[in-house]
Amino acid sequence: MAPYAVKVVRGLLLLVLMCIPIALSVFFFAGQSLRLDEAQSLWQSGRSVGYIFTLVAEDVHVPLYHVLLHFWRIAFGNTVIAARSMSLVFYILSIPALYALGALAYNRRVGFFAAFLFSISPFMNWYGNEIRMYTLFTFFVILNQYFFVKILKSKEHSDHVWALYTLTAILGVFSHYFFFLSLASQAVFYFLQRKLFLEGSLRRFVYAMLIVCGVFLPWGLYVLHLGQAANQEPLLAVPTTINLFSTVSQFVFGFQNDNINTVLLSLWPITILFAFLGLRNRAGHASLPQTQYFLITLLVSIAIAFVGSFIVAPVFVSRYLIFTVPSLYLLLASMFESYSPKWAQLARYSIAAIMIATLAVEIASPTTPVKENYEEASAYLNSHVTAQDVVVLSAPFTVYPVQYYYRADAPITTLPIWNQYSYGPIPAFNAAQLPDQVTQAVGSSQNVYLLLSYNQGYETNIKDYFDSHYQRLYTATYSDDLTLYVYKLRYDTSATQVTAR
Amino acid sequence: MNDYEKEITAVRTSFLKTGAPRILLAFNAALALAYFLVLAFLFPIGNRVLFVLLITGEIFHIWQVLTFLYTVWETEHTFVQSASFQPPVDVFITVAGEPTALVEKTVAAARAMDYPNFEVHILNDGFVAGKDNWRDIETLAQKYGVHCITRTIAGGAKAGNINNALRLTHNPLVAIFDADHIPHANFLQKTSPYFVDPAVGFVQTPQFYKNYNENYLTKSSWEQQELFFGPICKGKNRLNAATMCGTNMLISRPALVKVGGMCTESIAEDFVTGLLMHAQGYRSVYHPEVLAEGLATEDLLTYSKQQFRWARGALDVIFRYNPLFMRGLSLPQKIQYLSSASFYLSGAFVVIDALLPIIYLYTGMVPVQIDGMLLAAVFLPYLFFTLYVIQRTSNFTFTFPSLGFSMGAFNIHLKALWKAATFQRSGFSITEKSRASGNFLPLVKWHILYIAAALVGVPIALLREGYSASLINNGAWVLLTSIIFLPFIRAALPDKAKDASTAVPQTRAVKTHTYGTIRG
Repeated sequence: MAPYAVKVVRGLLLLVLMCIPIALSVFFFAGQSLRLDEAQSLWQSGRSVGYIFTLVAEDVHVPLYHVLLHFWRIAFGNTVIAARSMSLVFYILSIPALYALGALAYNRRVGFFAAFLFSISPFMNWYGNEIRMYTLFTFFVILNQYFFVKILKSKEHSDHVWALYTLTAILGVFSHYFFFLSLASQAVFYFLQRKLFLEGSLRRFVYAMLIVCGVFLPWGLYVLHLGQAANQEPLLAVPTTINLFSTVSQFVFGFQNDNINTVLLSLWPITILFAFLGLRNRAGHASLPQTQYFLITLLVSIAIAFVGSFIVAPVFVSRYLIFTVPSLYLLLASMFESYSPKWAQLARYSIAAIMIATLAVEIASPTTPVKENYEEASAYLNSHVTAQDVVVLSAPFTVYPVQYYYRADAPITTLPIWNQYSYGPIPAFNAAQLPDQVTQAVGSSQNVYLLLSYNQGYETNIKDYFDSHYQRLYTATYSDDLTLYVYKLRYDTSATQVTAR
Repeated sequence: MNDYEKEITAVRTSFLKTGAPRILLAFNAALALAYFLVLAFLFPIGNRVLFVLLITGEIFHIWQVLTFLYTVWETEHTFVQSASFQPPVDVFITVAGEPTALVEKTVAAARAMDYPNFEVHILNDGFVAGKDNWRDIETLAQKYGVHCITRTIAGGAKAGNINNALRLTHNPLVAIFDADHIPHANFLQKTSPYFVDPAVGFVQTPQFYKNYNENYLTKSSWEQQELFFGPICKGKNRLNAATMCGTNMLISRPALVKVGGMCTESIAEDFVTGLLMHAQGYRSVYHPEVLAEGLATEDLLTYSKQQFRWARGALDVIFRYNPLFMRGLSLPQKIQYLSSASFYLSGAFVVIDALLPIIYLYTGMVPVQIDGMLLAAVFLPYLFFTLYVIQRTSNFTFTFPSLGFSMGAFNIHLKALWKAATFQRSGFSITEKSRASGNFLPLVKWHILYIAAALVGVPIALLREGYSASLINNGAWVLLTSIIFLPFIRAALPDKAKDASTAVPQTRAVKTHTYGTIRG
């Protein structure tokens, strides 16, 4: 085949890969209910740019995504699908970027297979359709890694490459705080393999990081100026080893219910086989430094997040570590290269088949743990509550997604009681104050619609209190950890007749 | 240089490019110890018998890992040499009925060695071994103008043959080659300079298989050799504990005489003789360069016999010549000999590791009662890092088939262990190097039985306790073990014996027997 034809075919194949997430989005993901984090993004990005800075800083995030989303919504509309499409765009752009990174670091086959895994990834497809910063973050990480590997492989310094490396680092640190982990991984790799870099690289890296820090400094000072974080997000638990392996499992197999997760995690001895099959005589051309780099990116980042969760504060959640997914897929793709041809083919087909299967389960299963069906719960409220009722939400921050869909007349309140427009963190739960808070929340309403989700440790207290003081009329679960309870408070009007429909 | 020559040159040299940063080795040791301590002391015990078995196995594995790391800590040690030191040498070629054509190649190569003062002797045991061609060997010796020493009184097998020749020769250095090991022209030039130090007892060189690409078995056999003759032997060299391998070596006659010649009481005469020399205070040298080329076994039956002989000989060192209690050995030498010999205990521990998940499937009993993820969290980093370190130290020549062969030979090692522990006699069977024909599946009956037991055990466990994380986890373990056995099973399949790479010209082995060597 002529070189030009090869390029055309290669380009077409990449286009096909880029179309996979679009098709999945159109048919499955884009129409899903708004989730808590997404509702927060919509709420925050709907303010003025100045106020966005304040809200995002309080929310312990960096502002690039929210500011971009602000203008994106102005340009493309205020619908959920429009907002989600911005994440999808960065996800789709990441596919050729990952291909380029793989081709640069290894070869085109590794790049293409990693990009293929990326395009069918249940984990990436999920966040490719979420109104959050994770695909933007991943995109800048891939670009930054591309220029880092370019620097590693350069025969001579290129100001152009160094400038792009610095620029992507700046954009990266403003897309997520965890971008600093990516830079830390690069520092660790540089420390271990500095002999592989050109003379003068250290000075250039120092200059690049000084520029990054210099640009980031005003934001840091601003966050410090605001004081403590607003604590408007779910509490994160201290991770366990199960979280550690679940995270890696999610990177490959996406979000699965407990039964499937049990199967996947219990099969861990099979990972030993993957390592054994890689034991082939590769004298002279093994132990590529780029493999070490991607391994360090994966392990150092996960280790820092894991250990940091014990020392500083719990921050170990798979979505924060999404930037390690490209490294993981590149490592998998390059590892299969080291297998004998038969085993390599079997491994590629197997991993692809399993990922496609788990993607299908993630889409189809109602028990997929990350699904949050506030849309259906709100639809029930819209069709049942009256102005004499009250809707009580807990945890308080779940007010964001409910508000997006809620159109009924009854007032919404939260437990603990919280005004989302007030400055400062959400009030802490106090069991002794619960009776007073419930009395204050329900007032003289006829029925209370208690919607519980995102258990922050006090959900049982609230439910038990209502169960022991009021008559429960109806219960419905809309998704994992999202349950509606309807209670009768008064019997003096006919409007209290609530039926389960 | 054509592609084949390029490849074989690379194969001859790549396994000798050894070494890894010490920080990696130290970290590996720390990980191994941390894993063991957590497993032994922090996890709640399940069934006590199984726990003891598990911990015993892990102690053995940790011992193997730590002694390996200690061995390869530094692999580039060199000894004093003097290129001008070229004392007279007697070259012994041990023959016991090998085809004359094969012996002729070795004799011709030995005769053509580039060295000022040496005599070639064919140690012809064909007569005492009842071989038809013993006269042909004598004729061959005449043709090449070399000496032929034909024994008429049997005894001591290969060691007896060499000792007989020692009495009839006189040069201060003795080179020994098996009949199929063809020396390079520079063998003596490269090995004799070490003897400028009179304390040097012997110089060993690698045992390279020129037919490594003949079939799956020869390839796997060579890949096993690469780890041993690469980082392990080079590390032993630093510790003055080089292993005497019986061929491709140069020995000091005074040293050999002082230990009473080659040891005739063990079927691992070379290994024990090296041990005795070390105990007498002689130094050993491993010269890391392929200077002679021999043949690997080509069928599983011959391979199994060879493995049994190596294992039995090595285990004799533990049960009869235990280095721990032998005077004259330094502590590093004791550790090295124990490490080498104890490698052949691994069969017992392979069985323990393989049976633990099977026992769970049939009974539900487990050695430790913990979440599988917790075990993974401490075990996987240790295992993966150890594999990486082995790869780094061996220049990435360690392979899955070589691992599979080491573990798959558990039944052979167990048989050798039983015979050694009960002091039963084992004949000095000679290694058949040509490809034997027949059905080799009986050699892997235990492996097949294991897989069958697993297939039956899974539904039993499923009926007993239903679908559970433990069942899946133990099922994964037996699947893993079964796949590890596959290379060994594959070598037993009749049609797979012909599975050779066709990318390079074949080095077809001829019908031959040679005495064996020992390694560990």
